[in-house]
Amino acid sequence: MNHACRRDTEIVRAAAQDRWTEELRAHLTECEDCMQAAIAAPWMERFSRISDREHILPDPSIVWLKAKLLQSSADVSRASRPLDIVQLIAYTVVAGGWAALLTWRWDAVKAWIGAFTPTSIVTNAARAESLSMSFFALLFVLASFTVMLALHTIMAEE
Amino acid sequence: MTMFASMTLPAPLLIEARTRSGKPDPMDEARFETFYRRTAGSLWSYLYRLTGDAAVADDLLQKSFFRFLRAKPAVVSDEHLRRWIFRTATNLAFDHFRETKRERARSEATVRSESGPPMEAREVLRHDMMKTFSELKPRERALLWLAHVEGADHEDISEALGVKTKSVKVLLFRARKRLGELLTKKGLAPEVKP
Repeated sequence: MNHACRRDTEIVRAAAQDRWTEELRAHLTECEDCMQAAIAAPWMERFSRISDREHILPDPSIVWLKAKLLQSSADVSRASRPLDIVQLIAYTVVAGGWAALLTWRWDAVKAWIGAFTPTSIVTNAARAESLSMSFFALLFVLASFTVMLALHTIMAEE
Repeated sequence: MTMFASMTLPAPLLIEARTRSGKPDPMDEARFETFYRRTAGSLWSYLYRLTGDAAVADDLLQKSFFRFLRAKPAVVSDEHLRRWIFRTATNLAFDHFRETKRERARSEATVRSESGPPMEAREVLRHDMMKTFSELKPRERALLWLAHVEGADHEDISEALGVKTKSVKVLLFRARKRLGELLTKKGLAPEVKP
């Protein structure tokens, strides 16, 4: 117990119930803490009695069920956090791979893309030859990763 | 007097709460229902007086119990659990005040919005008292409610509000004084004759 005054509890009770003794009244003259308590107590007593009964509280079984559902969803999101991190890393790696690949052979790639017309395929074929087999191998690997990542994302969302 | 000292768990509930190792079990649905039925009413009243808004009190009440269940509290004693839930509810209410930063305006707006249709005398009284109480700071409201209505001692209050036990004495004195000033200003202060 660590009340402001050792008579605090008595004063609060006396003030709330309006049951004063001469001794308690006398105490008020010498204790400012208790005087304030005596002013607040009756009002707080009346205030606490304002009926809240018309307010319907949620059923405990509903609260229990909601809590369990929230807990499950929190568990799922906690369990899937490592997967989310791996997915984020995969997106970054694939995007970086595409950027690196295109930067590495941009001129040749531009020429190769420009060659996708019936006439250019024949005339510009020589320039496209500058793209090595390793380039196409990397292209294939990156494209495969991109497709797999996209499929994984779609399936995970579903 | 300690907070809720008059209430204890029924003996079977406490006995069942112990495992063979002697450690308390986490709460199951039946225990939760018993605890909820005993606590929810007074907790809602506290949150309603603190926030001045029934919908917010509903929300905070449910959040408090969600946190309570997520924490998987062991049934040690009724007093321990009630302290826990009141502390959680107080923290959530203060978080709510910090988030909105308009709690005073909101409380006043709520009180104003309730003053549309003609009210019964009981409603007028409730309206006036809620308005007066909403003019206090959130911490003052919590202090006064816990001390005067829940019968909490300084230690319980310090735990619920996250302040030092020694500070409660001063804070409670200030809160009472502020309420007294408000009541005097409105002509509602009781006549205390020493």
